[in-house]
Amino acid sequence: MQTSNGKEIFLWLIRRRQRYRVTGASMQPLLVSEDEVLVDPRAYRRQAPRIGDIVIARHPSQAGLKIIKRVDAVREQGAYLLKGDNPDPAQNSPSLVPVQLILGRVTSRFASAS
Amino acid sequence: MKLLTRTIQQFFPAAKTVSAHCDGPCGVYDPASARIAAEAVLSMTKKILAIDTKDHSHATANSLSRFISIKEEQAHLAKTDLLVLWTDYFKPPHLEKYPDLHDTFWKAAKLCSAVKVEVSLEKAEALMKAVHKIHDIFWATKGREVPYYTAG
Repeated sequence: MQTSNGKEIFLWLIRRRQRYRVTGASMQPLLVSEDEVLVDPRAYRRQAPRIGDIVIARHPSQAGLKIIKRVDAVREQGAYLLKGDNPDPAQNSPSLVPVQLILGRVTSRFASAS
Repeated sequence: MKLLTRTIQQFFPAAKTVSAHCDGPCGVYDPASARIAAEAVLSMTKKILAIDTKDHSHATANSLSRFISIKEEQAHLAKTDLLVLWTDYFKPPHLEKYPDLHDTFWKAAKLCSAVKVEVSLEKAEALMKAVHKIHDIFWATKGREVPYYTAG
């Protein structure tokens, strides 16, 4: 994942990017808890999420919870199977999320926890 | 650039958090994924049975191949989704409340294999019933009333 460059920070300043702080371990080793990322909320207005994209989505059954995961598979009827990167099965299992709950695509790492 | 982002972090802390927690504690499990796959198997089974193979055309052969391919894939996905629920979500206390839990999942997984191997409307419908039962058990363990529905 690319580190936020001048263009990304400019897009954040003009509110074309949203900034999120990551909590939890399911996206390790790529993202660790307390990393910050920038998200493009308009990424899927004209195109569908693609396998491999890292996305922010509303949790399908827990109101108010937003999750960060990678698109693992595309199912029929507009649903996406999202999974974390963590190879430990105990830290990871798939979530099926309808496309309307996907809020945007992670475009860059704004800051590392370290 | 690092200095700039550090300065931004210092003066404008990120207000929004996003969860990358493991799914167990977060409860990010949902039998809906198995339901969608099982429903796709049922749909493909119906389409395969509806095809008239008497014309021996390439178009018919192509359609039949595509339906079979999708049925295979979705049956495998249904089985994977069910196994994840069975092995990762359900715990011994659930088994006390639902003594036939293992039998339910074992039979559902067997049905996933059967609908892949055969073109059986009866077994595809039986898989949907099994998934419905698992849906009811799953949401009951969470103390929530989530109505079961199908897309088709």
